[in-house]
Amino acid sequence: MVKAYRQEYTYKHPWERVTSASWRKFADPENKRTLSHILEVDTLNHKLDPDSGKLHTTRAITIHAPGPWFIRKIVGQDICHCVESTVVDGQSRSMQLTTRNISLQKFIEVEEKIRYDPHPENPDKWTICRQQTSIQIKPLSALASMAEKVEQRCAEKFVQNSAKGREVMERICKYLEAESSGIPL
Amino acid sequence: MGILRKEKKSAASSSSSTSPCSNLRAAYHTCFNRWYSEKFVKGQWDKQECVSEWQKYKACLAEHLEDKHLSRFLEAEGPMNSANLAGGVSK
Repeated sequence: MVKAYRQEYTYKHPWERVTSASWRKFADPENKRTLSHILEVDTLNHKLDPDSGKLHTTRAITIHAPGPWFIRKIVGQDICHCVESTVVDGQSRSMQLTTRNISLQKFIEVEEKIRYDPHPENPDKWTICRQQTSIQIKPLSALASMAEKVEQRCAEKFVQNSAKGREVMERICKYLEAESSGIPL
Repeated sequence: MGILRKEKKSAASSSSSTSPCSNLRAAYHTCFNRWYSEKFVKGQWDKQECVSEWQKYKACLAEHLEDKHLSRFLEAEGPMNSANLAGGVSK
């Protein structure tokens, strides 16, 4: 069984600012407390195509995901490594992020896709964020018998964390807005 | 209590895996973020900046990235690099 859900959110900030905030989301030290489940983010790879204005980036994200004790016992660790690949198309103004777990894959597969596009109703001032997450417990894994419960818990955790993520994004957008209008902070 | 303590310890040890690179990482990310918001989104994508920051940071990662799953992605850049290198040699 796969658990999947979608979320949509409108930022009342232009695409340029929102995508700038997205890059800073995990890196700014002041967000570390809010996003305490993110332990580390490293850029592994990047490529810019100067003709098309496309930027490809691969980052490693280390997440602290403690589950209930019985899951910890089966899985044996509460750290999960994910790889996030991002494509920004500067010409058409779109940003797409795909994040997958690369550790614990024999138990669970999580894929999160986020897209930032100019909002169709106000393309120069607003940005629409579409997020899609799918969670699947491997049918033959030791977790299979409690798959539904684990998937549900995982999904709840994701919803909580994406709310925190939005809070951080809004904060950085405000900061960038103030910075660009020259207001000293 | 035992579980709690163990949890903290494992989190700490994993988060320090690439921490020798944290200064280089911060330097690169600061440079990248500035380039992205001041140049890239304004259509100035003709050239990659922060090259020296990236080279130093990447060299450090190559040395300290213990996780094999992750270092694979660093190595995935190999063919692209060698292509660049070949281009440089033929010039």
